Amino acid sequence: MNAVTIRGLGWKYSGRDSFAIEGVDLDIAQNAFVSVVGPNEHGKTTLVSCIKGIIPHSFHGVWRGTVEVLGQDVRELSAQRLAELVGFVFADPEAQFTSMTVEEELAFGLENIGLSLAEIDRRLAWVSELTGIGGLWDKSPYEISGGQKQRVAIASVLAMKPRILILDEPTSMLDPLGKDAIFSILADVKREADVTVVVVEHNVEQVAPLSDLMVLIHGGRVARAGPPEEFFQDCDWLVQHGIQPPQATTFLDRLRREGLFTGRLSPRFEEDVAALRQLLGPPQGGGGAA
Amino acid sequence: MSGQTLIRVEDLVFEYPDGTRALDGVTLGIGENEFIALIGQNGSGKTTLSKCLNGILRPTRGSVRIEDLDTRERGVTKRIVTKVGYVFQNPDHQLFNNTVHKEIAYGPRNIGLDHDEVEARVREAARVCGVREELFGEHPFFLTKGLRQRVSIASILAMRPRVIIVDEPTTGQDRRQSVEVMNFLRDLWERSGHTVAIITHEMPIVAEYARRCVVLGQGRVLLDASTREVFSRPDVLARTFVKPPQITRLAQALEDRGIRRDVLSVEELLEEFQRNRSQ
Repeated sequence: MNAVTIRGLGWKYSGRDSFAIEGVDLDIAQNAFVSVVGPNEHGKTTLVSCIKGIIPHSFHGVWRGTVEVLGQDVRELSAQRLAELVGFVFADPEAQFTSMTVEEELAFGLENIGLSLAEIDRRLAWVSELTGIGGLWDKSPYEISGGQKQRVAIASVLAMKPRILILDEPTSMLDPLGKDAIFSILADVKREADVTVVVVEHNVEQVAPLSDLMVLIHGGRVARAGPPEEFFQDCDWLVQHGIQPPQATTFLDRLRREGLFTGRLSPRFEEDVAALRQLLGPPQGGGGAA
Repeated sequence: MSGQTLIRVEDLVFEYPDGTRALDGVTLGIGENEFIALIGQNGSGKTTLSKCLNGILRPTRGSVRIEDLDTRERGVTKRIVTKVGYVFQNPDHQLFNNTVHKEIAYGPRNIGLDHDEVEARVREAARVCGVREELFGEHPFFLTKGLRQRVSIASILAMRPRVIIVDEPTTGQDRRQSVEVMNFLRDLWERSGHTVAIITHEMPIVAEYARRCVVLGQGRVLLDASTREVFSRPDVLARTFVKPPQITRLAQALEDRGIRRDVLSVEELLEEFQRNRSQ
């Protein structure tokens, strides 16, 4: 069974003339790491909102097609059941905070679903370790840095042990160090947590190496979807469709089209370096260029 | 630095009222018609420095001179804003009038220009920034983010400053929007002869657009050189948690294969690769 199965999905917001997304078919395997990329205002957030069930449950509009989460139609699932199955992290972490301390923020959802104190403790210890926020429990979630806020937001959603974790531009408001920390947490989540991750992200260079599936949403449709090795073929086409592939991958793609490279296109920097080192032959004596 | 020096910063120290020393002895000059990037981790002093450059903040010690003005003197603010403009990271922190026209006209009116001159300035700045006159009556709040940013840049340009400082012009924007705003800033530099300084964390943008880089770390200038030279010093950049663009790092990882370490673009690495293979 897929984590998510989407067939012929279309959604038009009430009062708009055209569909925000249309004719979307997508299969997301369980425990896959999926990156949704594309220009702003082309339907990325609308798509993930349909997986979370925010659409159609909390919005008015016209719906077409089906979205199934673990085999169940989102339109038939209750808000509570959807909340258990699908966790959602916003670009602005403050949008989801409700408590006076980080610890309360983390425990809030767990108490709400009636877990035992022992289980709550276990989960808090687990997410604190995973996201590196152990030292912040007594702090107000509003007083910590932007990067720490986003880690708390991810921790509080992960603590609920959703089967699907959606993150909508989780690093867009962070500086490079904050971004690095979030991508490193996502790598740990992919490795250690039993969860399907769907992340909307502009930073293709950092998210692609983690991804099993890349999905480009353009003009409300799936313009291209596939594993990174296939997705990054013809980088010029991707640039025309509003995304910036990793520079190293773009370089290898150019070499390939000029017949100078026949290997596979990896979004992982170390693999690209290794491929090029092999192509260029053994180190040159003296080390410097002529 | 090219041509005449417009801004001269000497041994600048800035401390916030709580005692935090944000700048700790910065000396640099900014000349005519430069395209500069200020880079460094958060807290390195980039934003504080740029606010000192246009007199929003006054030095604790040392000095900032803008042509013949010393920012420590009282009453110079209205003259500074005609020489150095500062565009906030978030246009919503800057825009406060209820129409696009009033927003762009605010600065020129505030320095006491007459009606005809204000109108001329508004039209000129709007035209340069691609803000169509049909939008003059609109509320800035209802424009797209890209247009709001253009309106905020237009409101600064209406003061006709020679230097324009833009704080994180591409944050939160997608590729097309980033290219659009950066090409616009490049036009200001190339065609209108402005000096443009950007504050950014996006190193591929720096590599493509900026000719000079000032690298800040813990309130000091770690490096001040051409962009090419700065990105060939990853050891120094690491001290302020900056990495060169991926294409430059790729070239540097291939240095022992005879590839130049100061490559700035995919095209440059292609040329370098072909040169290397033909040897």
